Amino acid sequence: MRRDVFQAIADPTRRAIIALIALQAMTPNAIAEHFEASRQAVSKHLRILTECELVTQEQKGREIYYRLEIDKMKEIDKWLEQVQEIWEGNFKRLDALLAELKQQEKQERKK
Amino acid sequence: MKPAKASLPSDTEVLVKRSFDAPVKLVWRAYMEPDLMRRWCSGVPGWSMPVCEMDMRVGGKYRWRWRSDENGQEFGFTGEVLEVVPHARIVHTQIYDPGDLGISMGSEPSIVTVTFQEAGGITNMTTTIKFASKADRDEAFATGMTDGMEMSYKRLDGVLAEV
Repeated sequence: MRRDVFQAIADPTRRAIIALIALQAMTPNAIAEHFEASRQAVSKHLRILTECELVTQEQKGREIYYRLEIDKMKEIDKWLEQVQEIWEGNFKRLDALLAELKQQEKQERKK
Repeated sequence: MKPAKASLPSDTEVLVKRSFDAPVKLVWRAYMEPDLMRRWCSGVPGWSMPVCEMDMRVGGKYRWRWRSDENGQEFGFTGEVLEVVPHARIVHTQIYDPGDLGISMGSEPSIVTVTFQEAGGITNMTTTIKFASKADRDEAFATGMTDGMEMSYKRLDGVLAEV
């Protein structure tokens, strides 16, 4: 199965994990403490996030830390920004059209 | 009004939100009447909307087509209206027609749900595009990347021309 950044953010627990480790790299135990889900369930999410290349593991002494790959997250932002830009172009014209329709209504009321 | 905000509520959906400084009945008209829609829905700069046919009743069909000013290439969307709640909600299918643009964006229809909600003279509009599958959404993603890049290059051209 293909793994990508969109799959990474498709699940609410994974989104919460991303938000958590965005602040600092954390061990699986420390991450699991923030969730009601079982340690195994959190591990599975971490595995998917790793396969999606959104997090990387880092060995520090005896502990493994999970770190968020910020650049990978930016791929989503970039795409969303482009979607927004295309829609916003349309919506700016819609703003102008609505202002015109409002004006028309006002004039019709005066008549 | 704040610029449009796009997000990904699930694996197969894209959600776009925007508010408009107008009562809902006017925003509704702008979405339902082809002559009005054509004026604002022309897409990215350098493109026009030569075809905008819409029968926005349940079971009615619509056909939108865009054309590049530069080389006349075309693409479009067609679909059928599934649900209409006046001044509140419209649901329609959307099938991408690659025309002669040659880029693929999934063959299964997606479902587009548009909601309208007025509060104090401001209308909040949300558009949810639900793709038939994650694969289709990803294809749209890839298309968006290409289009976006092309747009950026065009803008760069504009900037360079000014220098």
